[in-house]
Amino acid sequence: MISGGEQTHDSSVVDQVGENIIHHVSNSDIQHPIVHLPHIFGIDMSVTKHVLMLWIVAVLVSVAIIIPIRKYLRQGKGQPSGLANGIESVVQFIRDSIVAPNVGPKWVNTWTPLILTFFFFILFSNAIGMVPIFDVLGVFNRFVLGVPSSDSHNFINGILHGGVTATGNFNVTAALATITFFTIIIAGTKAHGFIQHWKNLAPHGLAWPIYIILIPIEIIGMFVRPFALTMRLAANMTGGHIAILAILSFMAIFADIFQNVLIGVGMAVVSIPMAVAINGLEIIVVIVQAYVFTLLSAVFIGMAINVQH
Amino acid sequence: MENLHYFGAALGLGGIVIGAGLGIGRLAAAAAEGIARQPEAADKITGAVNLPLFLLEGVAIIGEVFALVIVLMK
Repeated sequence: MISGGEQTHDSSVVDQVGENIIHHVSNSDIQHPIVHLPHIFGIDMSVTKHVLMLWIVAVLVSVAIIIPIRKYLRQGKGQPSGLANGIESVVQFIRDSIVAPNVGPKWVNTWTPLILTFFFFILFSNAIGMVPIFDVLGVFNRFVLGVPSSDSHNFINGILHGGVTATGNFNVTAALATITFFTIIIAGTKAHGFIQHWKNLAPHGLAWPIYIILIPIEIIGMFVRPFALTMRLAANMTGGHIAILAILSFMAIFADIFQNVLIGVGMAVVSIPMAVAINGLEIIVVIVQAYVFTLLSAVFIGMAINVQH
Repeated sequence: MENLHYFGAALGLGGIVIGAGLGIGRLAAAAAEGIARQPEAADKITGAVNLPLFLLEGVAIIGEVFALVIVLMK
């Protein structure tokens, strides 16, 4: 809300608000990246806001999950305490109530590490979107540093631009879903052999005309599953932020409609509690979406392993 | 006539909300009924309700994304 409001004076308030909301959930512009890197194979490898957030998430996951577990494993056997204890309960929940019922007892230890990696990565990158670090930096910039928002080559403006939730970007979730897609194939291949996995896609023993319809449906279904995973995660993480920003923007819109600042201030009585309520809902959504992605990945892997027919 | 795409997206969004609301409502009602009849099976019922709930949510979210695409791309 703070960083990008001042460029377009010629358009109406409603247009500015829409632009501002999109600017706040989408990735930062590749033309003004945070770190300039050369082109590799024709792809611009420069670091945009979402890539920066992915790195921050990677560091956070290492600090909060990997280091306590390594420390616990080094000190030998015994009761885990503190952070390691909390991690253990989450790990056990995911193994026993997400992976084990779907994948089956034989393959639990093969696929739990992947599902756990998904869970912690998605949870951290969802949750970091709820922390307004960069908005605080924007306020600091506005009142203390005073870098004008028109100066697009400034480093501070570079990190202010763009959304914070890396999982709100369809490319990030598409990459995660691609991992699930290949994991399904690998899981089926490991359990049944390569040829048998593809045969398992359609149930055998049916009359041949049914296969003319069934085989294309199964092939489409193979691609629809990761597509649905991609859309679900990214749209959920984007949608909540858009809703919060739209409700906060009511203040500007109403003040503009009635040409009166006091109505805009009065709107704050309505829109700020509503935004707080949606923020509370978002905290639930953050946890539920991490759970859903891991659950559905486990279900799909389990479907390739335990074929019912 | 040039703003008709907003109308279509809004209509679609309303349809999505009706459909998803009905679906989730029926699921939740059936789950609550089942748990009331058999409180000891609450864990199993919750587990069975979760998966279709998330699949339904996925369909609704994809519909909403397409409504957003209509607005943004015209």
